[in-house]
Amino acid sequence: MIKYICKRLIYLALTLWVIVTATFFLMKKLPGSPFDAERFNMMSVQQQQAILEQYGLNQSVPRQYIKYMGNILHGDFGTSFTYTGQKVSAVIGGRIGPSALIGLQAVLIGLAVGLTLGIIAAWRHNSGIDYFTMIVAVLGVSVPNFVAAALLQYYVALKWGILPVGFWTEWKCSVLPSIALSFSATAMIARFIRTEMLEVLEQDYIVTAKAKGLSPMKVLMRHAVRNSIIPVVTILGPIVVNLLTGSLAVENIYTIPGIGSLFVDSIKANDYSTIMGITIFYSAFYIFVVLIVDIAYSLIDPRIRLAAGREG
Amino acid sequence: MKKRVLTLGTVACLVIGTLAGCGFTGSTDSSTTGGSSQSAASSEATFDKTADSSAGDQVLSVYANAEIKTLVQWAASDNQSSKVNNNAFEGLLRLDENHEAQPALAESYDVSDDKLTYTFHLRDGLQWSDGTPLTAKDFVFAWLKQMSAEATNGYSFIMTDYIVNGAEYNEGKASAEEVGVKALDDKTFQVTLKAPTPYFARLTVLCQFFPLNEEYVTSKGDQYGLSAENMIYCGPYVITSYDPAVGAALKKNDKYWDAANVKVGNAQVRVMKDASAALNAYLANELSQVALDSSNVAAYQNDPEFSSKSEFRTEYLQFSLSNPVMANKNIRRAVSMAIDRETLVKAILADGSAPSEGLVAEGMYGDESKSFRDLNGNICQFDPEQAKKYWEEGCKELGQTPALTLLVRDDSVTKAVATYIQSELNKNLGIDIVIDTKTVQARNELMDNDNYMFASTAWGADYDDAMTYLDLWTNGTPYRGSYQNEQYNKLINGARVETDDAKRLDMLLQAENLLVDEDVIVAPLYHRGSATLTKSNVKGLINHPFGPDVEFKYAYFK
Repeated sequence: MIKYICKRLIYLALTLWVIVTATFFLMKKLPGSPFDAERFNMMSVQQQQAILEQYGLNQSVPRQYIKYMGNILHGDFGTSFTYTGQKVSAVIGGRIGPSALIGLQAVLIGLAVGLTLGIIAAWRHNSGIDYFTMIVAVLGVSVPNFVAAALLQYYVALKWGILPVGFWTEWKCSVLPSIALSFSATAMIARFIRTEMLEVLEQDYIVTAKAKGLSPMKVLMRHAVRNSIIPVVTILGPIVVNLLTGSLAVENIYTIPGIGSLFVDSIKANDYSTIMGITIFYSAFYIFVVLIVDIAYSLIDPRIRLAAGREG
Repeated sequence: MKKRVLTLGTVACLVIGTLAGCGFTGSTDSSTTGGSSQSAASSEATFDKTADSSAGDQVLSVYANAEIKTLVQWAASDNQSSKVNNNAFEGLLRLDENHEAQPALAESYDVSDDKLTYTFHLRDGLQWSDGTPLTAKDFVFAWLKQMSAEATNGYSFIMTDYIVNGAEYNEGKASAEEVGVKALDDKTFQVTLKAPTPYFARLTVLCQFFPLNEEYVTSKGDQYGLSAENMIYCGPYVITSYDPAVGAALKKNDKYWDAANVKVGNAQVRVMKDASAALNAYLANELSQVALDSSNVAAYQNDPEFSSKSEFRTEYLQFSLSNPVMANKNIRRAVSMAIDRETLVKAILADGSAPSEGLVAEGMYGDESKSFRDLNGNICQFDPEQAKKYWEEGCKELGQTPALTLLVRDDSVTKAVATYIQSELNKNLGIDIVIDTKTVQARNELMDNDNYMFASTAWGADYDDAMTYLDLWTNGTPYRGSYQNEQYNKLINGARVETDDAKRLDMLLQAENLLVDEDVIVAPLYHRGSATLTKSNVKGLINHPFGPDVEFKYAYFK
């Protein structure tokens, strides 16, 4: 297991290097500069030179690349072009918390509600609850999260006054965005677990378990759910990454200072250092979550071996 | 299995607990949600724990539609930062309720007979929020900083164009002592200008002219302005918390010279990028004022809380003269004359915008009795029949019917305006134009590289004088259509040094006529307006048409 993880970490570093390099050169192809052309033209030549020198933009692109790679090895992601004087690591650091909180809550809601609905639907196949679950799943997948966010904001916050309309002042502010974000995850998880369970419930060992006289609840929890959950773990990786790294629409609607809007804004503004910083963060996070998912497989089902050659 | 679930649950709860503990910027005040019976701002949760409740429970809350990227004076150039800085700092003069510049940190000022030397007399006992005395040296330091190569906001011209040796200092050809800014003593600040500038005193209301304490700024180094704790203030409010993505919280500055007349104790500028979310926040009593977008104006225009006004900002079409098609004056005139601006503002924008009658915005200073616009009249006529004739004439001169491409930025309002222009040109000239939509950065690059035919762009007045618009077309850059006209430059340069106000005004009136009517270098479209809702119990919350756009100082709760 340790050998496997070490190997994966080396792959992680290599993948990151490829991503950083590709992003760096592609980003330089973005049209425009990080400075407002109108204001930049109004600067004197001395000021223009000073600002280019400050950000190292007066050097050739390969030199900038070498310098950038050197800096990130020392943990320095540079200074933001948009937020004057702010370190990219500080800007990103300040935005991860809110995105991660609503994302994590959305994952938990998605898991709790999705698993419950999916299990009940499969257990009570072709019943009213099954049809209800499928309607929820279709709605969850087809209604975009910004529509859900706007509706929740209008009814729950504005009409009924139960939760805050927006802003990021207290924990209550994170509830509605988490619910809005969780819709698609809930639907996906419910559909997956239902389909898998229906298949598992047809298996011989379930019939055997029932024949042995196990209570229906024990059959369900010990045999059916455990064996149906592997595909959910597979889709959980991308879901977690998507939800934890923020949703631009939901963040905008609820005024959440998250990383989703930061990424879009920095691309629009050609904020090279912030684009790079977030790309590295996203990539590292994604690769890391995939690794965790792989490890989780073996924890859930010990028959799955991570490293080849250890069986037999 | 049970153990694993338990462990996972515990870990999840711990992570959420940790995130919840460190992520929020405010208190746990539970009164955030909006009950309609609650007064406008009393229900607002203050997102700053240190807000001074003794100064009043009600919080004045406005929003910024983009992030407040910096508060550093010599780096800031956007509306959001001036929204905060204008309320936390002050200059020699400050705009009053009627948008007139009134004595502020300077009690009075004298102008020499040749109109070149301004001597500002500071008030007694001025101090910074940390108790340090505020002296004339603080203005010298701040102004030199703004004129230096360190300034990154692109606003140095607003000083170096006028102040003796300002440009030379910026280029490193003159020392600080040679620049026309002097502290004669602690209370006397003297400025020497290159040429008479009738609006110079009015310029000092802008954030770039606010003072800075040299010792403090230097001691903070590159940390200055990055957080509320790393700044000291001299305006009606001090900033108690600042996060570019969340906003700024302010509380009354007891050390401010006119603190007795500041009635609201706590104020906030909150970042809300989504217009409908901002409206919801207003309806839930979390904002004291909100700007409406076009789609909501009809629903609220009879509401007693509704108001609309035109700002000093003009949206216009910029023709590139180096483009063979647009070099033809008849083609440019045909395009300009074929657009019905009245319908554009009423049917498409419907947000308080006014149809442009010229480049200089409505209400901008002209002379003592009339505005510049009133004096120069409507020079952007809509005449589809004439437009068609000019178009045919232009096509004849070119020997072909040209295909036109309009370059626009990718925001929703501009795209709607571009579609309207497309339909107008189709209806009135019988042509189909291509709309080329780009991000702001990409559009700017194309314009900078002279790689466009005509583009939609805008200019917002930096100060209340027509010169803020008209001097942009003197340097012949591609961004300004590569326009080079000796007569135009002569008028602008003449106005820059003219001591007779009437003659100067006449030169500017002629210049606008030349640019818009005779040479048709730009086709003004509309002067941007804003439709707002302001809570009925909030009075004296002033929105200026130029410069700093919101003023908390005169506000009070009824």
